[in-house]
Amino acid sequence: MEKLRRIARPISHFVILAFLWLGVQLPAAHAGIVGTETLVSSEQAQQDRAHILKLLERKDVQEQLVAYGVDAEQAKARVNSLTDAEMRSLAGQMDQLPAGGDSVVGILFAIFIILLITDILGLTNIFPFVKHRR
Amino acid sequence: MPIKRPPGAIRAAFWLMVVLLVTGCGAPLQIDHLLKSPDAIGPPVELTAVPFFPQEDFQCGPAALATVLNWSGTVVTPEALAPQVYLPERQGSLQMELLAATRRAGRIPYLIQPRLETLLAEVRAGNPVLVLQNLGLSWYAKWHYAVVVGFDLRQDLVILRSGRERRHVVPFKLFERTWRRSDYWAMVALPPDRLPASAEEMPYLRVVAGLERLQRWQEAKTAYASALTRWPGSTAARMGLGNSLYAMKDLSGAEQAYRQVTLDAPTLAPAFNNLAQVLAEQGRLQEAEQAARRAVNLGGPLLASYEETLQQILARRLH
Repeated sequence: MEKLRRIARPISHFVILAFLWLGVQLPAAHAGIVGTETLVSSEQAQQDRAHILKLLERKDVQEQLVAYGVDAEQAKARVNSLTDAEMRSLAGQMDQLPAGGDSVVGILFAIFIILLITDILGLTNIFPFVKHRR
Repeated sequence: MPIKRPPGAIRAAFWLMVVLLVTGCGAPLQIDHLLKSPDAIGPPVELTAVPFFPQEDFQCGPAALATVLNWSGTVVTPEALAPQVYLPERQGSLQMELLAATRRAGRIPYLIQPRLETLLAEVRAGNPVLVLQNLGLSWYAKWHYAVVVGFDLRQDLVILRSGRERRHVVPFKLFERTWRRSDYWAMVALPPDRLPASAEEMPYLRVVAGLERLQRWQEAKTAYASALTRWPGSTAARMGLGNSLYAMKDLSGAEQAYRQVTLDAPTLAPAFNNLAQVLAEQGRLQEAEQAARRAVNLGGPLLASYEETLQQILARRLH
């Protein structure tokens, strides 16, 4: 364990430095112009948001939410309050799920959505990428 | 004492486990679904012009990457790629590094959807597909990169440039099982003037935007322009085109692109901001101020940048 820590420390320093360097480099690339990367990621986040809000319209998801005592309108409001970056990581997790269709996958998907919503509402704490507001 | 039957909840959980295990192990292959209607996939295809680089030792990553890059018109050897993508200690290459090396070669690395149908559609469109396979088992992995260059659904074969074999032929089911263990990881590496057959607008543009960080403006410009031929109304592609032209010092070209975006999407603040900047640099400060004010009024997460643009323009107008 100690050995691992000794190896890991310089690596983590390197990673932190690399990130700092990136952070300094990106905005300085061209002042006054909004880069395409920034633009694309915020447009993508909007699409993801629309996608998740649409999922909340699904009947099976809504029924489950009601069963868990979650108000669907409240859930929507919380999804709307997520930042673009949070939205992105959330949608990234969803991409890894098999697309619905047959029943088993459909059920797992519904469970995932419900846990996600309850996470956002602060009732559960399953997904580390959901940030909780105080 | 009679044996008590387990409570209902435990029994239900047991059966759920059984169901999950059975479906998990025998999860249907995508090919089974495709075989129901082989006509939908069409006649056999083989891209015979795709070159071949036999791999050395464990270096399937550089060999497979060299195969698709040379096919796309870049001249590069596996030996030249190895330092970029091969990790001697792991005796392999990471997927991320294949993507990065493709970008450095001025080609667009596009991850295709994890579906067999998509892979076949790309090959049919003439694009060889680089795939990650696990030739072993999930708990005894033997990772391998190869390039799919053809298939014949009726004869049940997939044709690959793989390892030391120029024409490696495997049955569909075997191919899919080995490919599935990598979660169906597959990419195409295309020249910027050629869109993947299965490209989706935002994922494609996100990949192209990655070229900007490498300052490959010429390639980025071409890729945005070809994206606009498929999605003529794409504001992101047109913004990207403007940004590449701006970086290449084509101010009037950039202005034209930004202006078009402000007409197509009159609430997209970044377009007004960039238009303001490019007008200011041409000395047209009055028009620039107007555009910058519009960006500030629209606001959004980047409001601070728009305000800065406006301040700089106002400062120049005073002088």
